[in-house]
Amino acid sequence: MTDYEALVSTITEKAPYAEGKVRRERRIEFTIPADRIRDFLKLLKDNDFELLLQITAVDWPDRGEIELIYQVFSITHRTHTFVRTAIPRDNSVVPTVMDIYPVAETYERDAHEFFQVVFEGNPKLKMPWILEEEDKEAGLSYRKDFDMLGYVKRKYKILDRFDEDKDTYVI
Amino acid sequence: MVSQSELVKEARENGMELLPIDKDTYELFFGPQHMATENYSIILKMDGNRVVKAIANPGFLHRGFEKLAEYRPWYTNIALLLRVCVPEPDVPEVIYSMAVEEILGWEVPDRAQWIRTTVLEMARVSAYLFWTMGMAFKLGVYTAGQWAAAYRERFMALFEQLTGARVYHIYTIPGGVRRDIPSDAWLRRLRDTVEYIKSKLPDFDEILFENYITHRRLEGIGVMDRKFALDEGVTGPNLRATGVPYDVRRVDPYLLYPELDFEVPVLRDGDALARVMVRRFEIEQDLYILEQLLDMGPPSGPYKVEDPRLKNLPRFKVPAGDAFAHVESTKGDFGAYVVSDGKNKPYRLQLRGPSISHGIRVIEQLLVGARIADVPVILVSLDNCPPDIDR
Repeated sequence: MTDYEALVSTITEKAPYAEGKVRRERRIEFTIPADRIRDFLKLLKDNDFELLLQITAVDWPDRGEIELIYQVFSITHRTHTFVRTAIPRDNSVVPTVMDIYPVAETYERDAHEFFQVVFEGNPKLKMPWILEEEDKEAGLSYRKDFDMLGYVKRKYKILDRFDEDKDTYVI
Repeated sequence: MVSQSELVKEARENGMELLPIDKDTYELFFGPQHMATENYSIILKMDGNRVVKAIANPGFLHRGFEKLAEYRPWYTNIALLLRVCVPEPDVPEVIYSMAVEEILGWEVPDRAQWIRTTVLEMARVSAYLFWTMGMAFKLGVYTAGQWAAAYRERFMALFEQLTGARVYHIYTIPGGVRRDIPSDAWLRRLRDTVEYIKSKLPDFDEILFENYITHRRLEGIGVMDRKFALDEGVTGPNLRATGVPYDVRRVDPYLLYPELDFEVPVLRDGDALARVMVRRFEIEQDLYILEQLLDMGPPSGPYKVEDPRLKNLPRFKVPAGDAFAHVESTKGDFGAYVVSDGKNKPYRLQLRGPSISHGIRVIEQLLVGARIADVPVILVSLDNCPPDIDR
């Protein structure tokens, strides 16, 4: 049986910049500044956190930031870890972690395409991924300020209202 | 090895007339129509019949599930999310429900937990039978493939009786399940099906899993080792085939799994044969779990939470918070991360499909050096579900 409090304090002792807490059994959480993300994930990997399960991005327009959540699983400690960090919305740049967890390359491409987060040092960000070129030009994004209904209407030419001056329907 | 241009030169010298080929290597577009790629394409750079480079190209199925989910009320999202993985559609329902319940702080009744565990195991066996069909077809053992499809049909019929639908069940909801087990006859029929499929496993062994040709085709191709698999985030049977006993049902238990007795099959070779055999042993373990669940019997009590909020589903709200839930699917570790801001729709939802790790980078690396005839076999041995990648 893993002692989760002890696990959190072992890690925060080595990384004093991190705030750690136990969420519940088998779930722990750390909040760290964005510039220490590489140091912290390296530390986690050295402490038997073997699997990077996902990198999640959440857009918070009212806070003006994008939250990145690195979800790391430790098979040894049988614990799932949230590593939270926040970056500004208008300058969303963060260093890549693909040399620590190689699979991060794929997750970073995903977050880059849907949230326009730039992972410095990831060579594959410019390669085409899931979206079509026309979607990218329209600014299709999972960010909250994206006008999805307007985009769908434009893309599929759904007519919106009758313009009497031009005697036609406009989008 | 002899390069293609040398082969061409030699052929020309021997008086053969050939179409002009200038380069040593050529590009081969494999998919998305090819049956083995299952809706995503791989661009192969070939030298003769050897793969020099592979570039995976997902996106042919992309429907923006995660964005759509932000526009729909909590309960209607179930009908959307289960379309992510067609062979095993119960998994996204369960993880989404589990994450929402964690935010709400709901304890699911025992009966609902029993039903969910049973449904997940039925889905596992039927997804493995579906995969057996694909593997048998790629190896040319068509008889075994048709058997697997026919036996899966029995589970489809059971699902239809239980949920009203054959493939897309929309059965698990936050708080429990949508309706109760129809009758005791359904339980007897499930037990008959489990016993019937168990009795047929030796036949599968004889013509597919212990077949000399299968072993010669699969041995030593697409090899990955333990460190590579962990670095690349590979989970599920593919990781267990490299010697890591990682099974979410054991390392992060949920539902009734802590009470159940089962083994986690682990092999060490990490090649296509090991991945196939791990899945073969998994079918046996899943049938054993179903037997235990049937012996245990469904506990009495309600099948969903009794909460006044469930009376008005469109206005159903979830308090602010976030949660992550994951379960073991036949493809690997399937997770859902849900963020709520207190409204009647999710603020953000992310699904962690297992195929995203082994479907892009791992395939690109495992295919290098493979012969073109081995490409479909390696792909099916990894058991990709492309909608997981471009969900």
